[in-house]
Amino acid sequence: MTTLSLRDRLVREAYLTRFSWAVQDHPQDRALVRDVRREVTATAEEIGMRAAVAGLGHPRVLAEGYLAELGRRTPRWATGGVWAGLAVGALVYLGFAYALGTLDTLLDLGGGTLTRTTLGATTEYTATADVLGVETSVSWQWLVLGAGVFAVTFVLGSRAWRAWSPA
Amino acid sequence: MDDDRDPQLLKGVLPMLVLATLGRGESYGYELVTRLQDAGLTDLAAGTLYPVLNRLEREGRVSSRLVASSAGPARKYYVPTEAGTAELARAQRSWQRLAGTVARVLDAGTPTDPGAAPAPTDDPSRRTR
Repeated sequence: MTTLSLRDRLVREAYLTRFSWAVQDHPQDRALVRDVRREVTATAEEIGMRAAVAGLGHPRVLAEGYLAELGRRTPRWATGGVWAGLAVGALVYLGFAYALGTLDTLLDLGGGTLTRTTLGATTEYTATADVLGVETSVSWQWLVLGAGVFAVTFVLGSRAWRAWSPA
Repeated sequence: MDDDRDPQLLKGVLPMLVLATLGRGESYGYELVTRLQDAGLTDLAAGTLYPVLNRLEREGRVSSRLVASSAGPARKYYVPTEAGTAELARAQRSWQRLAGTVARVLDAGTPTDPGAAPAPTDDPSRRTR
């Protein structure tokens, strides 16, 4: 059996990475990626990897071909996961930004301690010449907010309603 | 020779052509592409064919088997199933009916005698009021 060169492997895997992302809607996406990997590897034995990959066309167009043959639209779970992760990440980032801004303001005012209660969670900001810290508690309201943001963005990002659309 | 081919036309008949080609001998993906290209579908790409093969296999119209190759990785060979052969016969009948209808319509619209089908004119004296 001929062994693929490193360059051929990189070309193949770069293509398959883009294809696997584009074809994620397909219920058998992993099997498709496996099939395409086998076909392109076998074809490369005859015409070379670059020509074999070129014959497949753009990975997104190839994925659209498979999805079109499916005859229905399907949810994009991975995209939904990314959206939800980014949304929750943005929420955490805003929390950190608010805390740093509060500490900075306290220092500008000469230092001290500030206590604030938001959505049931009490947070204590301390900014002195010796201590810089934030202490907070967890409340069910914050958990509900986080879960809500995650759920809404996941549902919207993944087009989850497609799971119930007629085949 | 005019090689312009409407991709939508090809899309409609490609499953039938795949079944017909596989009916003459099992084949793996790239070989099937080259067989169809040799038959005249010169602009057919592997990326167009593979999704069709996948659908035919999912619908049970072709079956596949992996054959180890001494020269490279295993190849997936496809062959029509009984359902695929029946589908090919049905598709052929349907295509022949459609082709006949299309030919009749086109023939009826093509003037064979220039005198029998006058061309439209802008001559105001020939306009009806």
